[in-house]
Amino acid sequence: METNNYSIETENLSLWYGDFQALIDVSVNIPAGKITSLIGPSGCGKTTLLRCFNRVNERYGNVTTKGKIQILGKNIYDPDVSLLELRKTVGMVFQRPNPLPISVYDNILFGLRIHSPFRSLTRSQSDEIVQEALTSVFLWDDLKDKLKTRATSLQLEQQQKLCIARLLPLKPQIILMDEPCSALDAKGTLAVEELMSVLSGTYTFLIVTHNMAQARRVSSECIYMFLGELIEHRETQALFETPEHPKTADYVQMRYG
Amino acid sequence: MKRAELIFQSIALITLAVAFILFWNFGKGMSFVENGLLSDTTATDSYAVLQENLNRMIPVLLGSILLSVAIAFYLEEYLVRTNWKYQIIARQIVILASIPSLLYGLLGLYFFVFQSEKGSFFTHALTVVLLVMPRTIQSTQRAIRGVDISIREAAFALGAKKWRVIVDHVFPHAFSAIMAGIFTVISRALAVAALIIVVYVWTKHTLQSGDTFYIPGSAIVLLLSSLLSSVFSSFLEAKTNCT
Repeated sequence: METNNYSIETENLSLWYGDFQALIDVSVNIPAGKITSLIGPSGCGKTTLLRCFNRVNERYGNVTTKGKIQILGKNIYDPDVSLLELRKTVGMVFQRPNPLPISVYDNILFGLRIHSPFRSLTRSQSDEIVQEALTSVFLWDDLKDKLKTRATSLQLEQQQKLCIARLLPLKPQIILMDEPCSALDAKGTLAVEELMSVLSGTYTFLIVTHNMAQARRVSSECIYMFLGELIEHRETQALFETPEHPKTADYVQMRYG
Repeated sequence: MKRAELIFQSIALITLAVAFILFWNFGKGMSFVENGLLSDTTATDSYAVLQENLNRMIPVLLGSILLSVAIAFYLEEYLVRTNWKYQIIARQIVILASIPSLLYGLLGLYFFVFQSEKGSFFTHALTVVLLVMPRTIQSTQRAIRGVDISIREAAFALGAKKWRVIVDHVFPHAFSAIMAGIFTVISRALAVAALIIVVYVWTKHTLQSGDTFYIPGSAIVLLLSSLLSSVFSSFLEAKTNCT
């Protein structure tokens, strides 16, 4: 199915909220199995672009989209695309950790349960899935005795890791992250970043961040956006050290922003 | 926390018990309206009359509450705010809900009871529906809006269907707020019913047969001002909802 090494490809993607154009002719290719970061000043369309990829934007009603988005070689605006399947393939982590207010155990199984027939999971299968998911985000040791506690009572860092862990049983290909560390302290940020680098071979990560140091640390490619337009997309190091576009240079060298 | 809850619960229980005892004694000892308090009934003592009325009205009350909750979920979850259907329904509800419940009670008493010789089941049911539904819809809408958007986003982003999000997350979260709203509405409806009974009994004893029931002019002025003020409040409320 995959014809090249890109997980996400967009062609002349434009998006309007009512009359306001939030994205202007964005064409971008996101490489598979790597971490790509989206940077830019507030209101430049980073989050909007991210939210296009699992079509959560459409819930807000007055959104018009033009152009093409291909995820794993398939146009996601085709009429035969199932939104539920799309969101299974493209997981999302939000700015504020938002575990569902149920137990840790049920949080991890929630996604799987809604995608599989009623009561098709046996107890031992569920236990195994939960252990596997928590182990891959390094939470198993901390939480193995707290599986029945409410997820919202955990520390923020653990909550955010749990939000990543609950995507994993669905076996997503792509994980979108909308400023995943902005609610966390330095230690929590470090933990999430480490987790991302460990998982990056298996999953494609696209991360929106305001923290340029973070973009530099974690991502292999970096996209700079400004007022709805994609200004520059290059390897992270090159973008930060020798930006081609003067607007990028202004931003990454912190002349403003 | 625990202790406060315990104290609260015991106070509530004691109040209930006292109310029950008082009610029981009054009910046994007095028989003040010969042909029924609220509707055409043959029972004589007020306890039996009230019981008969409650037996008829409770299904109406429960039905209209359930319907209201369903309408509120439909409005909030399935209609977009800018949709014309939402606008029309929501505005009507806001206007109806902002009218003081006493006005509905008086309306029921005057048009439904005095005008039609004997009150019928239908007229009472209509009063109860008018009294209960708009407010229940409104309080349920507020409860639903109070559910944190991040919970919906999390569930939607995992691929959950809308009804699943509602059943699994929005409803359980809004549940206590919805119940709080429902009980407030019920308590208001009961209080209005009590007031109406007092008015009814007094007028029953003072009016000769053939007299018409009338409301003093000053009361009409007050009622109209109250109506005006509630329409104004509903106008403001609709304005804040739209944005």
